[in-house]
Amino acid sequence: MTMRTILVIALLLSLAACAAETADPAPVVERYLQAKVAGDETTLRELLCLSMEADLPREVSSFASVTDARIENMACARVGETNTVQCTGEIIAVYGTEDTSFPLTTYRVVQEDGEWKWCGEAG
Amino acid sequence: MPIRILLALLLAATLRVEAPQTTAYQEVFVHRGPGHTFHDIARLNPGVPVHIIERNRVGNWVRVTRTTDNGTVVLDGWVPTGYLNYDGSFHLSEIPVNTTIADADPANADYVSTGKLYAVPLISEVSRAMQGVYRYGQALGKRSNVVTKVGDSVSTNSLYLNPMSRGDHELGPYDFLEETINFFGPSLAAGSVASRIGMTTYVIFDPLWADKEHCNPGETPLACEYRIKQPAIAMILFGPNDVRHMTDAEFAVQMREIVEQSLDQGVIPVLSTFSVHPDDRLWWQAINFNLRLTEISAEYEVPLINFWAASRILPEYGLDVDGIHVANSGFPNIKFSTGHEVWYGTSLQNLLAIRMLDELRRTLDMH
Repeated sequence: MTMRTILVIALLLSLAACAAETADPAPVVERYLQAKVAGDETTLRELLCLSMEADLPREVSSFASVTDARIENMACARVGETNTVQCTGEIIAVYGTEDTSFPLTTYRVVQEDGEWKWCGEAG
Repeated sequence: MPIRILLALLLAATLRVEAPQTTAYQEVFVHRGPGHTFHDIARLNPGVPVHIIERNRVGNWVRVTRTTDNGTVVLDGWVPTGYLNYDGSFHLSEIPVNTTIADADPANADYVSTGKLYAVPLISEVSRAMQGVYRYGQALGKRSNVVTKVGDSVSTNSLYLNPMSRGDHELGPYDFLEETINFFGPSLAAGSVASRIGMTTYVIFDPLWADKEHCNPGETPLACEYRIKQPAIAMILFGPNDVRHMTDAEFAVQMREIVEQSLDQGVIPVLSTFSVHPDDRLWWQAINFNLRLTEISAEYEVPLINFWAASRILPEYGLDVDGIHVANSGFPNIKFSTGHEVWYGTSLQNLLAIRMLDELRRTLDMH
């Protein structure tokens, strides 16, 4: 392998790393919230940060007691270059015949192995 | 005249003079003890006068006797207080309390599991451990006259405990609960962020379910409620929702976490079993959930209200048409003057909860 090839590979790897770091975490948060509403364990497991791994059963069951849970008017955006994503919109669910709503808020994201992960509400 | 007859006559004369007298407003079975699991021994017809001799700890069952003019006792047994006419002629504060008789005869239960549930008193005695928790809570700044609700829609029901704040209660014979209602009542005027429809023992720890107006980011509904109210006591009511979505083992793990977080904060958690209809497809699952609740109560020595056992004598077991929520009387206030506690789940639920609070207030000398 020539020196030039090595340099090209190194450049590509660093570009890939940069791309992951700068990738927008907002879609990850949106996917996470959709999965939470749907009780989609596979996606939740994929997108949940390591420090919250023990909370997975709770996250999966969050909307088990209600029906027709859905997210309305969701719009999420990263707050500057911070590790937070602010979302607007709300989750609507039905209990019996009554609607109950949960406003979306600001969430913490962390990078693990180059991937953004949802890591709870931002304090 | 033999001494035995003399004593019987003396007893009969004493009862006529001292024991208050009333009648039943409809036919009611008379049992050997204060609960329907005790064998029934007679029927008391409406309008027939009986003397009230003693009562159980809650006050929802009384022992009545009927004697002839010559002193022969022709009736001696227990009936639910709510079946008796209340016209101000008797006050439970003046009736001796039988503190040794059990609330049920578990040997007569249909199943071993239900026998175990019947064996648990309708309300716990306050343990020494809770005296320690109360003192610890006071040191942390918990407010002795503040009670809050934690639970699902059965707990959220605005007719459960919240009417204690109205000041228009009609206690009927349960006059001894007056001070307790006045003491805790004002704290129940506000809602609880830890009591919400659809809530389960999982989501009580999920910040997403916390009220964003009152709770801090990342704060769980339980932590938020305890921070806002600083309560000395939390009435915890979970089960009717959870039973549809998790196993009893998972439920027990979550309930233990709720109890431990409460104790850590100096809050006395009062647990409660829940009613279930025998025809419900989840009957056995609910029985197991209730057994887990009694086990956790015993393990941590925290108070427990055995609503399941008490509600067995109510029409439809105190449940509303959906078989999940408890039936309301239709009255907005706390009303025990017309026997609602033997007809409506919410009225019985309120009676047991207020009586449990009464036990805590008196034992812990709360003021």
